[in-house]
Amino acid sequence: MSTVHLSTRQPGALALFWSRARRNKGTAIGLVLVLVMVASAILAPWIAPHDPLEQDIIARLEPPSDTYLLGTDPYGRDILSRILWGGRVSLFVSTSAVLIAMVVGSAIGILAGYIGGKFDRVTMACMDVLLSFPSLIMGLLVVAMLGPSIVNLILAIGLTAVAPFARIARAPTLVIKEREFVEAGRAMGFSHGRIMGIHILPNVASEVMVMASLWLATAIRTEASLSFIGLGVRPPTPTWGSMIREGFENILDAPWLSIFPSIAILIVMLGLNLLGDGLRDATDPRLRHE
Amino acid sequence: MSEQAPVLDVQGLTTEFRVHGEWHAAVRGVSFQLARGETLAIVGESGCGKSITALSVMRLVPQGAGRIASGRVLLEGRDLVPLSEPEMEKVRGNRVSMIFQEPMTSLNPVLTVGFQVAESLHYHRGLGRAEARRTALALFDQVKIPSAARRFDDYPHQFSGGMRQRVMIAMALACNPAVLLADEPTTALDVTIQAQVLALLAEVREAYGMAMVFITHNLGVVASIADRVMVMYAGEVVETAPIDAVFARPTHPYTEALLRSIPRVDRNTTELQAIGGQVPAISNMPAGCRFADRCALVEPRCRVQSPPLTMLPDDPRHHVRCWVRGGETSVEALQ
Amino acid sequence: MIGFILKRLLVALPTLLAVLTIVFLFVRVAPGDPAMVILGDSASQEALEALRQQLGLNKPLWAQYVDFMLMVLSGDLGKSMLTSRPILQEVAEVLPYTVELTVASLTIGVVVGVPLGIVSAKQRNGWFDYFARVISLVGLSFPAFVSAVLMLLIFAIELRWFPVISSAALDDPEARLRALALPAFNLGLIMLAYVTRVTRSSMLGVMSEDYIRTARAKGVPGRMVVWRHALRNALIPVVTVVGLYLGVLIGNSVLTEIVFNRPGLGKLIVGALNQRDYTMLQGLMVIYAFIIVLCNLLTDMTYGLIDPRVKRQ
Repeated sequence: MSTVHLSTRQPGALALFWSRARRNKGTAIGLVLVLVMVASAILAPWIAPHDPLEQDIIARLEPPSDTYLLGTDPYGRDILSRILWGGRVSLFVSTSAVLIAMVVGSAIGILAGYIGGKFDRVTMACMDVLLSFPSLIMGLLVVAMLGPSIVNLILAIGLTAVAPFARIARAPTLVIKEREFVEAGRAMGFSHGRIMGIHILPNVASEVMVMASLWLATAIRTEASLSFIGLGVRPPTPTWGSMIREGFENILDAPWLSIFPSIAILIVMLGLNLLGDGLRDATDPRLRHE
Repeated sequence: MSEQAPVLDVQGLTTEFRVHGEWHAAVRGVSFQLARGETLAIVGESGCGKSITALSVMRLVPQGAGRIASGRVLLEGRDLVPLSEPEMEKVRGNRVSMIFQEPMTSLNPVLTVGFQVAESLHYHRGLGRAEARRTALALFDQVKIPSAARRFDDYPHQFSGGMRQRVMIAMALACNPAVLLADEPTTALDVTIQAQVLALLAEVREAYGMAMVFITHNLGVVASIADRVMVMYAGEVVETAPIDAVFARPTHPYTEALLRSIPRVDRNTTELQAIGGQVPAISNMPAGCRFADRCALVEPRCRVQSPPLTMLPDDPRHHVRCWVRGGETSVEALQ
Repeated sequence: MIGFILKRLLVALPTLLAVLTIVFLFVRVAPGDPAMVILGDSASQEALEALRQQLGLNKPLWAQYVDFMLMVLSGDLGKSMLTSRPILQEVAEVLPYTVELTVASLTIGVVVGVPLGIVSAKQRNGWFDYFARVISLVGLSFPAFVSAVLMLLIFAIELRWFPVISSAALDDPEARLRALALPAFNLGLIMLAYVTRVTRSSMLGVMSEDYIRTARAKGVPGRMVVWRHALRNALIPVVTVVGLYLGVLIGNSVLTEIVFNRPGLGKLIVGALNQRDYTMLQGLMVIYAFIIVLCNLLTDMTYGLIDPRVKRQ
């Protein structure tokens, strides 16, 4: 009885998503947009025409030209290069935040669902309270308390997303906990940790991954909003939110300053939303059998 | 069966559904007549086209996915197939009503049951609020909903399944229709409630002098209520006969099989025989007889050509679609 | 209905208590000495001690908690450290602007979004559906401050339809409405996007329900099937989403107020953040806690109005 094969995986939402993405135009466009933006953020050091921090005192607030494709800011820095590098920061911060929220949130959700009882009730009540707080205001306060820095920003945005992950991980845990193979596993003397790891985690994983990709858009939005308010990454490091803020201060003289980073955010958000729709369709039980 | 013109006359009804971009017949060439006060039972497994037949009569086949490809549906002499949607709205719930299988989901959860019953009186009879309420209350009494006046303004979730089905019946009766289509009205109910609802249906049909089409997969239910039985298989009529003839002399092998599958108290239940195999999918119909693959009597000719509906030589009211058991005279040729 | 509201209020109390506790812990447990944060690194030991005394920071945590709760219960949120004015008074001065903005954008979102979603569902995959879906996708993709900046650029600076800075002459109703229009439309677009989407999908779901077929079998005219039989059922998930996104709306109102330079809670909170007005921040969080609990209460009550099954529970 040492090797018992217990198949506990169901056809994953991600697998369904891939088969669907190939047929759905919107999802495909979303995928392309996201890939392009991710690639340009990763490749920023090689494809950016200028140093994003290099100031050119002669070329301040220049409109788009051959040298500066998207113009320059009040310090004479190249907007295009700053957008490319800024994407790097935005994507890094939001991806890390979502990953943290995913790990912490699912752990809380699985534990709450698995242990059950009073622990479950108290934990989930706390999560509901967290969930009811607007994520932007919560992020604002966390950063304000901790002080602005990349790490604190990641923690703040991560914290706003813990509750939804806890919720989504808990639901399938409750169902799986009651199944025979978990009983069997316990009868065979498997530890609780092993049961959660082997039986529950794989079943929770696919829903959680879908959730993560949906939350990425929210995280990017929160990051940009915090940067816009001035609570993001400290200057001179470029981020889209802070670039729009700087542009906003010069909106009458140099509208391109805020327009181009706005477009960058829009492209990413559009891409992520289109992708998210594809994922949602793939996970929607009503559409699954179609 | 009288000299009188039939109240419902369905002629060569073919209803198609789209499967992967192609139209396939879910109901093919179905014809039947219904006299005033008569009850016809349509019997068959699920997927045989019974419900689609009823929905076609109501013109409620889901648009886009399905369509009536040919045939006529004469209700009191008027063909419903070419009617526009607004014209059809005046017929539905007025001259022909339908009761559905699922009482739990067939009532609107956010509207009071009283409103839902009174509603069709408003649209078809133009009754005002008070008058519609009075009439609807009378209907509640008629379908034996206890303390009707008190429960009139309750919501469906406050009713049991059996009570909801009574509400559905009241709704269907509201405008005194000529034809009532009951699509497995008792299947979802407990056995004791089933008997009550069946008795109620028989009673109101008597009282209103309606014709009724009673759809079921259970021939046992039919015995007490139907005058005539029409057995459908894979979208076609395979046997039709007066109720006694069906039980005394089931002729089509499928009807025989259905009869054997009725659970009976006086027999050992282990004898209950299920029919092997499945109804073929509408997109994958065999060339010859559609029942051939599941038939014990199958002969080579059954797989070559589809058998016509024929009249049994000794009983002109008993029609069978079978090469082996059928008669010589084709019913279609006569018409 | 009154019993239902009272019951909901009772349920809301523990939530409020929990939120207030979180607010309290949030401010206290944060790393760093608030006194140091407020006064800066260079402050003298005496000044720090004096401030701690003033804020009650040297009491044990439970005593601070009791103080805090008593303060909130007595309806006193303390004084702003910056202006020395009562926080409640400062909030009361600007709250109407924030409420006016959120209510206006909520109205735009629901009044435009619901019909858009219904028509979109009725003409599924038609050109109108496509159009409505694009609109809602765009609405979902715009962070509030981005759309605010772009709107300001287009409608106020280029087209000059609306004032660029909207704080002037707010006692004149017409000017006030003009000043409200752009910010409200900006926030409304986000709400509209969510509402259109969920209305469309829930309408599509409801139209395939058995009871819709029943209604049609009764001969209810097509228009009435949609408006009387389907809509109320379809609105139930819409209420959920609106309730859920009221929080998002409140969060985004902060950004909108900043971009349009409108008075309101948003400006107050960002000002407090920049000035490290610690008591003001705590007070504002308490206010937000009340607003959120109130929003949840309103959402629950709306359920009670739409769905007869809710009242029974």
